[in-house]
Amino acid sequence: MDRRAFFRYGLLAGLAALSARAVTRRGAQTCTTARGICSACPGLPECELPQALSARQAGPGSPADAGGSYTLVRRIPGGREPARAVEFGPDGRLWLAAGSTLALLTETGGRDREILFDAPVRCVAVGGDGTLYAGLRDRIVVCGADGGKRASWEIPGSRPWLTGLAVGENGLFAADAGNRVILRYDRSGRLLGRIGEKNPERDIPGFVIPSPYFTVRLHADGLLRVNNPGRHRVEAYTPEGDLVAAWGAASAALAGFCGCCNPVGLALLPGGRIVTCEKGLPRVKIYSGDGVFESLAAPSAAFPEAARAGAGAADSDASLAGLAAAADAQGRLAVLDHVTGSIHLLQPKA
Amino acid sequence: MSTQPEPVNRRDFLGRAARVAAMTGAGALIGKLAGTLAPGGAVWQIDPAKCTRCGKCATDCVLEQSAVKCIHAYAICGYCELCTGYFGPEPNALTTAAENQLCPTAAIQRTFVEDPYYQYRIDEALCIGCAKCVSGCNQYGNGSLFLQIRHDRCVHCNVCAIARVCPSDAIVRVPAERPYLLKTAPTTS
Repeated sequence: MDRRAFFRYGLLAGLAALSARAVTRRGAQTCTTARGICSACPGLPECELPQALSARQAGPGSPADAGGSYTLVRRIPGGREPARAVEFGPDGRLWLAAGSTLALLTETGGRDREILFDAPVRCVAVGGDGTLYAGLRDRIVVCGADGGKRASWEIPGSRPWLTGLAVGENGLFAADAGNRVILRYDRSGRLLGRIGEKNPERDIPGFVIPSPYFTVRLHADGLLRVNNPGRHRVEAYTPEGDLVAAWGAASAALAGFCGCCNPVGLALLPGGRIVTCEKGLPRVKIYSGDGVFESLAAPSAAFPEAARAGAGAADSDASLAGLAAAADAQGRLAVLDHVTGSIHLLQPKA
Repeated sequence: MSTQPEPVNRRDFLGRAARVAAMTGAGALIGKLAGTLAPGGAVWQIDPAKCTRCGKCATDCVLEQSAVKCIHAYAICGYCELCTGYFGPEPNALTTAAENQLCPTAAIQRTFVEDPYYQYRIDEALCIGCAKCVSGCNQYGNGSLFLQIRHDRCVHCNVCAIARVCPSDAIVRVPAERPYLLKTAPTTS
């Protein structure tokens, strides 16, 4: 091929390449029309967005507040850090686990004291003597009533993910969602046993934890109450690990647990009644100690942001799409909305 | 004295024509690839964080069967027995019977893994992008199902017909070399 022919073919190839590139680029121009339609939206009847944006946060006396057996006393707004757990201390004051801090709240929601950790605090328990147990993802940090750190207990297993703690006279119980087991420790941090693992010989079906919402509570009857969200039920275990009772059923009806995996949280009222928290259709309900539905403490309308977000619109670690609750000795409830980080302080209606 | 151009015989003519065709085709291919893969190139994609699962992806694509398909992020899935992306509200039974399914085209295959876990796989040939499963999974489940524009089907309209009607502006331009916006597994911090 002589030089002239070479350049002729090269020119042709170049022109063809430019044409093809231009065609492709034309399709890559930023579309402004779609943005224009959205900002000047004429109000499509099937569009849920305007309705969702116009929904308002429930507050004391609001229609949403009127739907449950409890009334909203105060709503403490969330901070910038993701809040994961609340717990009442023996003095009736509220502890909040938010971000990497454990904060003691004042009556109005201010922070009286803060304890800083090197990782997010996912659960908290307070002993009768004021000792604090902070559950991080893979360890339990023990703090004195003064906030000073005393010990750190590593969680065994390849993928620990602590999401719940309960403390009593017979030890500390830790809910490990990663390994789907309740770990029993003595007060010095020695591991005494593993509870709830699948064991056909003991007739234990095992926990099903699709997302990291796994709670353990120590009931006044001496039994543990544990949520088994994938099986839509609450289970009662002895501290030695025997399954003695279970109740709950999957249903969108008020008495059942809706969605793929509920309840996501538990709290115990004085007298033995059990409080359950659900995600997806966020609601707080009261059951008797043996699982008979009694009342709806807070309806979904009380948590409009959580209802809009849905259970699957969680944050980076999938643990901020539900509700968590704690009850004090007077039967008041503190319900933490993971989506907004706000705490709803509820008391029974007269 | 004028010089006559050498006559072109048939073999030379065909040879030159073949060279021209080959070079033109190669150039067009290079240009097309450059347009698609160059850093400046962009394609349409759905941002899962903005998507409100309104269902318009199924009805407003210019294709007869939408280029939008449901994608399953298995790392996020809970492998639930009662999958709220698979089953309709209050199913009669947790079986694969049609009346229990949420998907209008039975595009989700449910297979048993071990008690009580099940795997859910999307059959893209059947999926119409209606987002019913995505809505169920995101409202009540782990949110492992989400919609994406499949670029083996998308015809890359200048102005995406779905983007024009998307109520949440979820159809965005993304670099052509990273054409998908995938949901990822939770972090372990």
